[in-house]
Amino acid sequence: MRALLVSLFAVALPLAAHHSFSAEYDTNQPVKVSGVVTKVEWLNPHIWFYVDVKGDDGKVVNWAFSGGAPGQLMRRGIYKNVIQPGMTVVVEGFRAKDGSYNANGARVTFPDGRQVFTASGEDKVPGEKDSKGDEKK
Amino acid sequence: MKQIQTICASLLALGLFAGLVFTTTRVHAQASKALPRTADGKPDFSGMYEWPKSSTGERCKCSATVFDRNKFAPLKPGGEPFFEKPNGDPRHDEPRNFCMPAGFPSGMLSANAVQFVQNKNTLVIVHEFQRMTRVIPLDGRQHREGLEPMFYGDPVGHWEGDTLVIETTNFKRWGLDDYYYSDRNQYRMHSDALRTIEHIRWKDNTTLAYSLTIDDPKTFTAPWTQDFEMKARPDWDQAGLYEYVCEENNRCPGGHCSQ
Repeated sequence: MRALLVSLFAVALPLAAHHSFSAEYDTNQPVKVSGVVTKVEWLNPHIWFYVDVKGDDGKVVNWAFSGGAPGQLMRRGIYKNVIQPGMTVVVEGFRAKDGSYNANGARVTFPDGRQVFTASGEDKVPGEKDSKGDEKK
Repeated sequence: MKQIQTICASLLALGLFAGLVFTTTRVHAQASKALPRTADGKPDFSGMYEWPKSSTGERCKCSATVFDRNKFAPLKPGGEPFFEKPNGDPRHDEPRNFCMPAGFPSGMLSANAVQFVQNKNTLVIVHEFQRMTRVIPLDGRQHREGLEPMFYGDPVGHWEGDTLVIETTNFKRWGLDDYYYSDRNQYRMHSDALRTIEHIRWKDNTTLAYSLTIDDPKTFTAPWTQDFEMKARPDWDQAGLYEYVCEENNRCPGGHCSQ
């Protein structure tokens, strides 16, 4: 299963987003948080999953992360049970431009190292380079 | 003796030629038979496919296929503006943020699964993205009249041999493709004078040849065409198309997310 998920990430087909990444998310605000999944909305046009993240001050903030459309993910072999409430995850993505605790959730890493690319194809992953070696804009 | 040798050589050559012709004919016949056909003998395109792709041409910083500007005819001087600059209003800059339709041909090039359902009189093309559905009459009828301009236009199809030709008219001015994901200042628009012509045929047993002609006399000086291919995906038959209801949980309309 681990190999499957890692390979899914590695060869994930880029798929069309219905939304404009650049309109919603700020590439100057990469986020990488760790926490516990509290809820999953496996709904169109994008999945959303929510993660309780404990800050340095001990305060818990519930972040909301968007991903690809359910159909896009299922055609990649990623189904709803991949992310479930109670799971501990590290999520990488970019924060919403409006400064809320919303972000795109591009890459999810589980404690055993498994990774899943949960975003739409146009969505970015922090630090990801394009074919020219430039950071994706 | 020499005469007998000549006759033998001629017979041998004739036999080889006849064998070659017979073999070639049979291979062609087998290849032709292998292509799916409807009961009335027309090519049957029913099935699941990947979206139209081109192995060459312009790429987008997105996953959708985009038109190759090298194929474009020159823009018409004084014609409809082809590029629409963003103005900061998300309803203008990316209407799909609000679940507005992608339209045709843009939606057809979106990177999602496509299903063709065909019978004698109708071809239905359903695209998983936004569940774009085009019902294309094949019964010889003409375009409807008196309609308001549409996102997906008004298609009619006819056969030219084993090639299906679909002409679509009556569009409203809308985004031509997704190229603006590469350059926000190049939101490419077609006009309401757009007429598209699609040619669809089996290239081989696993691939459709799919060409799109853009005839937009308000924008371009001449029609232009780009060739694509659509890969058949029988392995997607079991799953079929997944539902896509944009309005279900569109939590970030225009970039304003809410929890």
